[in-house]
Amino acid sequence: MQTVVSVLFDVTLITMVLALAAFGLAIIYGLVGVINLGHGAMLTLGAYFTWAGIDAGLPFFIAVGVAGVGVGIVGIAFEHLVIRHFYDRPFDTLLLTWGFFLVSTEVVKIVFGTSFRNVTGPFPGAIDIGIYSLPAYRTFVAALSAAIIIATALVFFKTSLGIRIRALIQNREMASLLGLNIAATYKLVFAFGAFMAGLAGGLIAPMLSIDPYIGNVYLVRSFFVVIVGGVGQLLAGTLLGSFFIGGAETIIALFSSQVVAQAAVFFIAIVILRFRPLGLVGGR
Amino acid sequence: MSDAAVKQNTVFVRPASSFWGGETPVAVVVFLGLALLPLFAGGYPVYILPQYLLFGLLALSLGLLWGFAGIVSFGQAAFFAFGGYAMGLVLQAGLGPEGTWLAIAVATLVGGLLAGISGYFLFSAGVRATYFVLITLALSIIAEQVAVSQSQITGGWNGMFVDRLSLGFGPLGEVALYQDVAAYYFVLPVVAAVYFAARALTVARFGKILVGIRENEDRMEALGYQPWVYKTVAFSLSGAIAGLAGGLYASHSNFVSPSLAGVLFSTEVVVWVALGGRLSLFGALAGGVLVSALSNYLSSIAPQYWQLIVGLVFICVIVFFKQGLAGLFADLAAHMLPRRPGGQRHG
Repeated sequence: MQTVVSVLFDVTLITMVLALAAFGLAIIYGLVGVINLGHGAMLTLGAYFTWAGIDAGLPFFIAVGVAGVGVGIVGIAFEHLVIRHFYDRPFDTLLLTWGFFLVSTEVVKIVFGTSFRNVTGPFPGAIDIGIYSLPAYRTFVAALSAAIIIATALVFFKTSLGIRIRALIQNREMASLLGLNIAATYKLVFAFGAFMAGLAGGLIAPMLSIDPYIGNVYLVRSFFVVIVGGVGQLLAGTLLGSFFIGGAETIIALFSSQVVAQAAVFFIAIVILRFRPLGLVGGR
Repeated sequence: MSDAAVKQNTVFVRPASSFWGGETPVAVVVFLGLALLPLFAGGYPVYILPQYLLFGLLALSLGLLWGFAGIVSFGQAAFFAFGGYAMGLVLQAGLGPEGTWLAIAVATLVGGLLAGISGYFLFSAGVRATYFVLITLALSIIAEQVAVSQSQITGGWNGMFVDRLSLGFGPLGEVALYQDVAAYYFVLPVVAAVYFAARALTVARFGKILVGIRENEDRMEALGYQPWVYKTVAFSLSGAIAGLAGGLYASHSNFVSPSLAGVLFSTEVVVWVALGGRLSLFGALAGGVLVSALSNYLSSIAPQYWQLIVGLVFICVIVFFKQGLAGLFADLAAHMLPRRPGGQRHG
């Protein structure tokens, strides 16, 4: 019983944290079709900005917010200088965002050095619920992740801004004929995805030691979350994909090592892609 | 449908109509020059050049795939490293000088088979070019983790020692490659032979069909070709070349470790090919040799700034110079030799 409950909680927490990490990618890939290989680098930047903010004396949550905005600004700059010219060539955006990763990683190394950094989370303790004690900070991040995803979905489905973005995805030419500013909307979506990645990087920072390649751990996993869930399925796809990738990894890791579990999950994800290239949610 | 967008970006380049046209004379001159090098220089250049040439061969394996089939693999390093491990394991079996040929063959086959199996699995389902990149990225992560976790075979993070080759020629005796000059004169002809074979393949029917698939897969299918078969064969060949390069590299440097299989090295190969010129096999080869040599040299002087510059140049090449260095040289040659047919487009 105790193991079942603890695995259940573990899987839930891992699912939600992974969903948070993948959400920025789900937005950029799902909505504007840019295969953002720079996503990992954006997470890394978010973590370092948070560290720098705390180092400068800011409280944790302010630092995370500043980090998110900072990465969002970097994202806008990159979009404006390079990506906006390539929206009709997805394969080039893949290479260009990889170039972003190369450059960003080196800049991080030059500015912050290569040694490990640690960020102390605001809630160090654990929540005791009788038979199991939840790590307080992870639980908080999981809840926040759920709130962020639901709030974004509400904006997407219930506001006029959401309608405009969905119109763009469905039919770009028609939307622009109806007077929608395509360039501005794409820029907004890209910036929001980058902002989310930065925020996620900052929130994840206390759970790990930060080094310049920290985002790489999440890059491929995030992609599998998005693709296995279904590209463009912001809410259900991200959650289901995270549940699948995070849950499978947790369960396989019970029987073997963490390394084997990650390799096994990647392998399973590849097999799913082969047979269901549109993902588990995207049926048609 | 989504692949239509991929195709738009590839600059159409007419497949070279003859083997001796285009880059081949340049390659002949360069290889001849390299063959004469040990007469004038010794020591470090003769020791290190074969390793750069083998990096060049690894770049060529990607150039063949990227330039002609329009497929980018972020997992070439995995085949390279597995070729290296295969070489080490067969050599450890102690089959004598004749066994060396077996080791070389196994290293090549391991790369080819791994690529062939994963290529068949993915291309037969029509996996898109963008997903293929992500999957090969994941494959190189898996390969690195396998190399780390199977430490009783691979030595884990400590890596594996691989001896220099000693080639047996039956009753004629054997040639040991412990001397750097001997190793040089073994690696150089192998690299040249693979280059010319790959070059011949790309100007032959096979290469033209690949270019057809790169430019318009649906049309080739309508013409009765099965694109996935050609893509799978191209990927297998590419994996085999990478495996061969890895096996020879491991033996030459005496060492193979998991980081050779990893994502960072894999993507370095992508950068070499992009800078060298993805539409030219010799450009890819030269990109591998020059960029890895420059990296090695400059990273001892300005380690961080060099990598930063490489990243910025990579972005500029993708944005402005699709054909990399090879394209610049071709433009230059077109200006110097005005009799060339006009109308060539460069991105």
